[in-house]
Amino acid sequence: MLVIVALSFSLAIMISIPAGVVANQESTQNLTQRFNSTITETEQQINQSTTLIECSTSSGSMFSRPPSDMSGPPSGMFNRSGFSFTREEFYMNESVVTTISSIAGVKDVVPFLVESSSETTQETITTPRGDFIMSRPLYTITGVCLNSSFIDEYSVLPTDITAGRNLREGDSGVLLMSLNLSKYYGVGVGDEVEVNGTSFAVVGIYDQAGQNPVETRGVYMNLTDAQTTTGEAGNVSRLDVYAEDVSVVDSINTQIQTMYSSEINAREITVSTYADRLANLQSQETSYTELLNNAESTVAQTQSVANQEIIVALAATSLIVLFVMLYTVRERTKEIGTLKAIGFSGWSVMSQFMLEGVILSLAAGVVGIGIGTVAAPILSGVLLPAINPFGSRSTGFQTSGFASAVSLGSSSASAVVTPTIMLFALGAAVLLGAVGSLYPAWRASRTRPAEAMRYE
Amino acid sequence: MSEAVSEAVLKTDKVTKVYTMGKREVRALSDLNLQVNKGEFVAIMGPSGSGKTTLLNVLGCLDKPTAGKVVLDGVDVSKLPERELYKIRRNKIGFIFQTFNLLPYLSACENVELPMETTKRPKNERRQRARELLKLVGLSGREDHRPQRLSAGEQQRVAIARAMANDPAIILADEPTGNLDTENKYEVIRLLANLNINRGTTIVIVSHDSQVASHTERMLLLRDGKIAKEKQGLHLVKKKLMCPYCGSKIQPNDERCPSCKKRL
Repeated sequence: MLVIVALSFSLAIMISIPAGVVANQESTQNLTQRFNSTITETEQQINQSTTLIECSTSSGSMFSRPPSDMSGPPSGMFNRSGFSFTREEFYMNESVVTTISSIAGVKDVVPFLVESSSETTQETITTPRGDFIMSRPLYTITGVCLNSSFIDEYSVLPTDITAGRNLREGDSGVLLMSLNLSKYYGVGVGDEVEVNGTSFAVVGIYDQAGQNPVETRGVYMNLTDAQTTTGEAGNVSRLDVYAEDVSVVDSINTQIQTMYSSEINAREITVSTYADRLANLQSQETSYTELLNNAESTVAQTQSVANQEIIVALAATSLIVLFVMLYTVRERTKEIGTLKAIGFSGWSVMSQFMLEGVILSLAAGVVGIGIGTVAAPILSGVLLPAINPFGSRSTGFQTSGFASAVSLGSSSASAVVTPTIMLFALGAAVLLGAVGSLYPAWRASRTRPAEAMRYE
Repeated sequence: MSEAVSEAVLKTDKVTKVYTMGKREVRALSDLNLQVNKGEFVAIMGPSGSGKTTLLNVLGCLDKPTAGKVVLDGVDVSKLPERELYKIRRNKIGFIFQTFNLLPYLSACENVELPMETTKRPKNERRQRARELLKLVGLSGREDHRPQRLSAGEQQRVAIARAMANDPAIILADEPTGNLDTENKYEVIRLLANLNINRGTTIVIVSHDSQVASHTERMLLLRDGKIAKEKQGLHLVKKKLMCPYCGSKIQPNDERCPSCKKRL
């Protein structure tokens, strides 16, 4: 019995290791897949808008200790070990719309006001470098210029409406709400909701497309309504400038850069063309590919550690079988002598002991698989070096929503014993049983009956 | 009973066995000549260290003689390699041990079947023969008992049935009564005697117990690896169905002489 326990533990270890390796490989593969699909999606979006020049006001980040008399967390605050980022919001005056529209070659200028709610939620985000508590705005208000030609021509509004209707020209005092938010608040089409003290009727629910927080927890409304309810009358935070043709994008870009050079230099406004966005995506792709390569090389290292450990486990298992069977043969010398005396050949005695060794380790194999299946996550954690694809760099927050979408919750690989591994383990058990009992069985078969009889 | 007519089942020619213990050589058997004829019941006697067990091992192909010849049922077994010897042991010899040597995890019936295991006999035939043999040794109804649930005498009877399994040319018994009390001792020796009379089985036993030995047909006294003395046993008289003590007529299965009441 003790033997089966010892053997099954060593087999459990043996199956936990490949389980862990497989889990690590799978988690890296998942990561690569998610990364590739995000890249593809983003690339498609960029390619669809070659004539678009984006002018966004940026939020200048400042490092500061949180004020001691802070009544509530400021919007968009990352909190970690006492330090915090506070965002300083910048806005453009609506007059900019007229100014930019007058530039030669500009077809349309679509203004937006994107404003975070003052209500926040606390979220714990697990990253390879530790847990972060992040307080995020509960929802994001997007004010859209509800001009029917804009709605038709450019994707200024969400398209996937699950209930009610979309916003249209002339709408006022109504809003379009994301599915997430509607679930969160338990409101539906026709209900009245209050945004910063102003009442709005919900006219439609849309399904959030991407992972972008603006989309998953957003409300869309008339630009003027948004400006009034957030107290930013006459201000916009983003302008989508559409050129008449791709050929004039560069000249428009140059003129905007010249006009607002001071704001752009102060990083209050960012202007980006198709080429800029593509370049940005490519640089992100490069840095991510590097990270994934790191992860893959770590997995490869793990694999070699695992190989060594499996060899040790195999050796240990067959040694256990060897010693147990040697002991058994010794214990049963007299029985072997008797069997040979009454006419059993050396071969049949040998095969009987081999069979016994195989059955013993097969039984241990079954028990070991049981233990291994339960204990694999723990055992593989102990036995294998931890996989951390984001090794030395904390990237989760550095880049945009895209990066965090890929990185968050990525690397907690948990070992699962697959049927393939079980079969492999059973096969190994049989093989080890045979190998380990080969010598003892041979010794049993060579025992001279006359000597065996004297043995007590 | 003329020697010339009798067919020799077992014959040795100047058998010598030397054990090397460290630097010392021990001569256990020295130029021993022996003949056992078909249907004989022979006892080999001698003090401990006289070479009784060594002789039996050599006769039973459990050990090879250092020199000399052992001819068993017409085959010179001293020249056979191990891969042939097991067939001789299986088909020509039945072994009975002092300590019974039954396999503890097998039933009485399975123990008796064991020597037939490597033969070509079909399974049900083996089972049937094992049951018949157990009935012959008086153990019908106990076929499925494990050895630990049988008395010492019953265990030895299972071992006798096992020795008979492949219808051997000769049964070799090493101190078959050594571990038995008086009652079981006579039970076993009578069983062997009856097998010899009723079935004509050739039996050689080794014993240092002269009482047991006296129930055989011929006693060989071994000393210093040689046969020192030979005398007739009670069994020879019993074979002639005459009480060895008072000379009155007896039946083969009688436990005691009907007239003088002495134990046979």
